[in-house]
Amino acid sequence: MSPARRRKLLWQAVESAILLGALFLILFPILWMALTAFKRPVDLFGLTFLFTPTLDNFRAIFAHPWNIGHTLLNSFIVAAATVAISVPASTLAAYAFSRFELPFKGALFFTILATQFIPAVVVVLPFYLLFRDLGLLDTVYALIVVNLAIVTPFATWMLKGFLDAVPTESEEAALVDGATRLRVILDVVVPMIWPGVVVTAVFCFILTWNEFLFALILTRDDAVTLPVGITRFRTERGDLWELIAAAGILISIPMFLLASVIQRHFVRGMTGGAVK
Amino acid sequence: MAEVILRNVTKRWGGFVAVRDQSLTVKDGEFMVLLGPSGCGKTTTMRMVAGLEEPTSGDILIGPNRVNDLPPRERDVAMVFQSYGLYPHMTVADNIGYPLKLRGVRGAERQRQIEAAAAKVELGDLLHRKPRELSGGQRQRVALARAIVRRPQVFLMDEPLSNLDAKLRVSTRAEIKHLQYELGVTTIYVTHDQIEAMTLAHRVAVMSQGEIRQLDTPEAIYDRPADLFVAGFIGSPPMNLVRGEHASGVFTAAGGLRAATRIAGHRGAAMLGIRPEDVTVAPAGAGDLDASVYAVELTGDSVLVTAQAGEARLIAKADRAWRAEPGTTIGLKLDATRLHLFDADTTRRLNPE
Repeated sequence: MSPARRRKLLWQAVESAILLGALFLILFPILWMALTAFKRPVDLFGLTFLFTPTLDNFRAIFAHPWNIGHTLLNSFIVAAATVAISVPASTLAAYAFSRFELPFKGALFFTILATQFIPAVVVVLPFYLLFRDLGLLDTVYALIVVNLAIVTPFATWMLKGFLDAVPTESEEAALVDGATRLRVILDVVVPMIWPGVVVTAVFCFILTWNEFLFALILTRDDAVTLPVGITRFRTERGDLWELIAAAGILISIPMFLLASVIQRHFVRGMTGGAVK
Repeated sequence: MAEVILRNVTKRWGGFVAVRDQSLTVKDGEFMVLLGPSGCGKTTTMRMVAGLEEPTSGDILIGPNRVNDLPPRERDVAMVFQSYGLYPHMTVADNIGYPLKLRGVRGAERQRQIEAAAAKVELGDLLHRKPRELSGGQRQRVALARAIVRRPQVFLMDEPLSNLDAKLRVSTRAEIKHLQYELGVTTIYVTHDQIEAMTLAHRVAVMSQGEIRQLDTPEAIYDRPADLFVAGFIGSPPMNLVRGEHASGVFTAAGGLRAATRIAGHRGAAMLGIRPEDVTVAPAGAGDLDASVYAVELTGDSVLVTAQAGEARLIAKADRAWRAEPGTTIGLKLDATRLHLFDADTTRRLNPE
């Protein structure tokens, strides 16, 4: 074996070792959570992969007193409503920023981004007081409004990037063919940036789904979402790790599904054939 | 079908004037070509007619109506874009049918009109394909079919052939000309290609720097260019232009070129123009001037002879059998009836009284 070849093999071995180490760091907690979710409390602290799996933990979290089903539903309502409102609104906003000459366009667009720089802890108390006075504390409406404020600027920026990359000739053709501006957006623009719309919607959903701080402060019983719901398993009897793990699985499932959606849409380009 | 009138139209972007105080009347049913180099304002002019750009000042009329304040959809024009501007997510049939859909033409009637338009541009078999499955020529046909599927007042075509390869360009050009003849729709066609302008147009507007330099029939523009710009822009190879002095009806240039111009009133610096096909090769001493052969190029149907006479370099079109070595002295004969004279200062054409 020549020294050059030996060095190459050695380097490959080092590379593989680093990658395996990183993979282990990322995947092991997930694996451990998945295993814990199916363990009985007695097996909990045994460092073994051999145990009798049980679905008791999932039954427990859906039953009284945990009622995680209600929490899950809240999370879905908040995330779905936020996406349903923010994505169409951001699409229109991003279109205006991408296509029209507006006074102070650059400053306006930067302001939208700047809202994202404000730390959440700074505004959470004003929000609390606001919603208290409006009588909206502990409702999904309050959470939807707050999440819209977080997600819409982000979605506008993201969608503008997709819009800027689409040539305008097809839009102009549609205008001349007899379409109104709104019709052009619906019939021509949105289909052309559809992968971008899907990816944006998924990101917005994930952001909202995982949002913790506002949900913690603004809800108590009725409108609690999953990330906050999990904290309830830290009781005076101690941390109920098997229930935390089971709820963790519930939180993760939509993320895994959405990740595969993103992957599919990221790969495919939709604009092929529009222009030369 | 309608007349299109531009009245003192100007388009400015900040300090840049794209179109300067332009007036133009396109007659009902006329095929008008706007010809000029890139950046001359021809596309901007067309986009203002379409309603995709707003004029800074001036009026645009389609038929009897001033359309300045109308959005594109209310102007009843159809446009073909340089890069096709198709709807990538729709089938060919849906692309062609989109203007009809917007106008509420439904079901079987829409289908019938789509098929009729597709048949006119020979797209019949491709109706179920998506644009990305088509060649460039086929995509441009879809764009054409989409333009003719309804009978608009005006066709606007923005360099529709420039993305096609040379062979396809020639055949599609003929098809566009035939379509326009058949439908009789007023057409404004933008191109930088003088051959397209000459072959297609009823009238050509030659543009430069936001202004129309000459507006006339292709014949007149070729035979009587209004200024040096038009003279140099139209024709391939371009017109020979020789700098010299003009006085008492005689043009003289360094190198022994003398030509009677039948123009009495003008004296001073001038440019003499003559097209290569109006210059014939003769034995040395037998022509209007002697020149030395610089290069001989066979184009197929003729030979282009570039010859040096003093400081001027003239191109002559000779018979395709003609040959000579560089350096040979030859005579050049100028067709006295086909001479063009331009004032060197104003660049305007000087006409015999």
